[in-house]
Amino acid sequence: MTEKSGVSRRDLFQIIGSVPALAAATAGSSSAQTHETRQGAYQRKIFDDHNWQTVRVLCDLIVPADERSGSATQAGVPEYIDDWLDFRKQQDGNDDLAAQILGGLAWLDRESSRLSKTNFAAADPEQHMQLLDRIAWPETATPDDRRWAGFFTKFRDLTLNGFYSSKMGIADLPYLGNTAVENWKGCDPAVWAKLEERMKNGYKGLGGEVKPWT
Amino acid sequence: MAQVKATPQTYDVIVIGSGAGGGVAAHVLTLAGAKVCMLEAGGWYDGTKQSDMFKWPYNAPHRAAGTKEKPFGYYDATLLGGWHVPGEPYTNASGTDWMWWRARMLGGRTNHYGRISLRMGPYDFKPYSRDGRGFDWPITYDDLAPYYDKAEELIGVFGTPEGLENTPDGKFLPAPAPRGYERLVKLACDKVHVPCIPSRLAILTRSIHGRPACHYCAQCGRACGINANFNSPGVHILPAIKTGNLEVLTGAMAREVVVGPNGMARGVSYIDKKTRNEFTVNAKIVVLAASCCETARILLNSKSSLFPQGLANSSGLVGRYLMDTVGSDVDGYLPILEDLPPRNEDGVGGMHMYMPWWHYKDQRAGKMPFARGYHIEFGGGRGLPGADDFGGSERILGGGYGVELKRNIRKVYGAQVGFTGRGEMIPNADSYCDLDPDTVDQWGIPVLRFHFKWSQDEILQAKHMQDTFKEIITAAGGKYFTDATAENNWGISRGGAIIHEVGAARMGSDPKNSVLNSNCQAWDCKNLFITDAAPFVSNADKNPTLTITALGWRTSEYIAEQAKKRNL
Repeated sequence: MTEKSGVSRRDLFQIIGSVPALAAATAGSSSAQTHETRQGAYQRKIFDDHNWQTVRVLCDLIVPADERSGSATQAGVPEYIDDWLDFRKQQDGNDDLAAQILGGLAWLDRESSRLSKTNFAAADPEQHMQLLDRIAWPETATPDDRRWAGFFTKFRDLTLNGFYSSKMGIADLPYLGNTAVENWKGCDPAVWAKLEERMKNGYKGLGGEVKPWT
Repeated sequence: MAQVKATPQTYDVIVIGSGAGGGVAAHVLTLAGAKVCMLEAGGWYDGTKQSDMFKWPYNAPHRAAGTKEKPFGYYDATLLGGWHVPGEPYTNASGTDWMWWRARMLGGRTNHYGRISLRMGPYDFKPYSRDGRGFDWPITYDDLAPYYDKAEELIGVFGTPEGLENTPDGKFLPAPAPRGYERLVKLACDKVHVPCIPSRLAILTRSIHGRPACHYCAQCGRACGINANFNSPGVHILPAIKTGNLEVLTGAMAREVVVGPNGMARGVSYIDKKTRNEFTVNAKIVVLAASCCETARILLNSKSSLFPQGLANSSGLVGRYLMDTVGSDVDGYLPILEDLPPRNEDGVGGMHMYMPWWHYKDQRAGKMPFARGYHIEFGGGRGLPGADDFGGSERILGGGYGVELKRNIRKVYGAQVGFTGRGEMIPNADSYCDLDPDTVDQWGIPVLRFHFKWSQDEILQAKHMQDTFKEIITAAGGKYFTDATAENNWGISRGGAIIHEVGAARMGSDPKNSVLNSNCQAWDCKNLFITDAAPFVSNADKNPTLTITALGWRTSEYIAEQAKKRNL
């Protein structure tokens, strides 16, 4: 985002963006409301009844309820995804993203029917896992599954974006800001002690191993 | 039906524009007792009444994502403006990919900008003398230093005295303590010998002039509901109105500076956007502060038999040597930041630390492949989750789904750090704006056509940014992500994208090769002045707003003095 605030957050793993993509079409920023502002009144714009079933099942496979928070559907993620696909279509002047998502949903049904004679939404949990395990790790997907892994990566992004920007997801993380702080103190000493310990002894994290560096 | 009217009153000064440059001019001149009329093309804005501070993205359409109307998001302070202003187009010459940001509102871009407030240094005023490229300013750092002091004391800038080369210290408020990831990145910078110091932002860390201190909600871009950051309406314009000497006309789109038979500016013609009527308002002095390119546009459109090339343009330099800032980005992921205790990392609306340019010695020794330098800005941490903030998790986690994915996202949230460079562009003859021969806007005003090219110096600077950011991320034990390659000129930003356009009516010491003299007074028209970034002779890596404010203050003081001596 350029001049504004120096550095702006855009994406968990792509923080520095250039400017937002220029849209060719006129936007409809007032046309859609999120599920959380108009609970119960959501009108679907992209998904039909069957898609909707599949999307709800798939979202909750990606973000199920656990001991800390509820599931994707409980946080309104299917509504977020439907709205977001329509929004991108208007902003970007094409429906490539919607096509990729609808195409991936169609493949889930096709593949599920081939393997177990039932569509994806109606398949049993074991069947769901068997299919997702093929496409949920893009690096290890077979060449034949590559484009379906691409679909799943995008669908996972949408689900995580919808969940963690919801009120429920924000409490789950938790994000503790957007509030007045009377006395800013900088880095919490407990956090810094932990960082110093890791710098001294090294640290093995999800994103790689850090060698000792002090 | 539209009609042309004249207002009977004659003001001392008309100021066109209400951003950093127009704001400071109105402030200084009204306090000096001048009767000032300010023309603003957009609407009224007061952040203390209209800020969207503390609102949540989940209560906005599409989780407050950026749109064509509001590119920086639903809650951004810019009410009307952006890369497209409805009914007010601009064009690009063939081969040019320029972007032009305009904010049509009281205070202009000061409502949402990054508040980064860096003084230009002594070298930055004499670049030609140092490396034979570009042009020298007709003033020195010492000429401007007292005005940097005044500007900082009024608007409020935090920072720390560091005594670094060509990075002058200022009149600073205390700097806020750094966030955890910032302290960590500083240690990584120490390893690779890049200086990392407290940043310098126009945000109050203690109360001054009746404005309260920051409450650290990080949402300066939405405008501040308590006026704790610098913005022209809250700091310059409302106090100026209180003097009783300032009248602000909003929805007033300046078209032309009107010149009398003696060649002096007599007033300004503007279109009242509500009625589409054209008015002429008269004054003894005209100050242009419409923003660099809009100011050039008004001058080029002010054609008369006396000034057939446009006003103040006998040198032919109005619109020429347009500059923006060089930008290039790398994203980093630092595993060492994973799975730390939850904490509020908001802080001020911007970075608490940054890296000023550091290769002066190598440059003097001829060891650098490009001229001039850049500073580094960086961000990260556990920020406010909005639309589209959680994509790309597979790049860290490989993939996954279910309860395990949820657990992992909690651990990796806040472990990302992104770096962006802000570098100096050397003015070149291929980068300028002129009037499009065909296109007009909805007010019947000919529009600007842009021509823009980066030179090899800027492209090699972007490469150096990429290499440096990767080095810092690697030194912190992280992974870097970038799409920059030689083919895309190392990810260099599009011209105009950094929104630092400067230089379209430069000052100088010779009327043949400059538009303005050393007091930002037009050589061709002595009661015409410019206080935005158009007078800039070069575009140092230091963000322009503080220099606009200091230079505008100096120009306004000069105007007040000359008016008292009846020289104008």
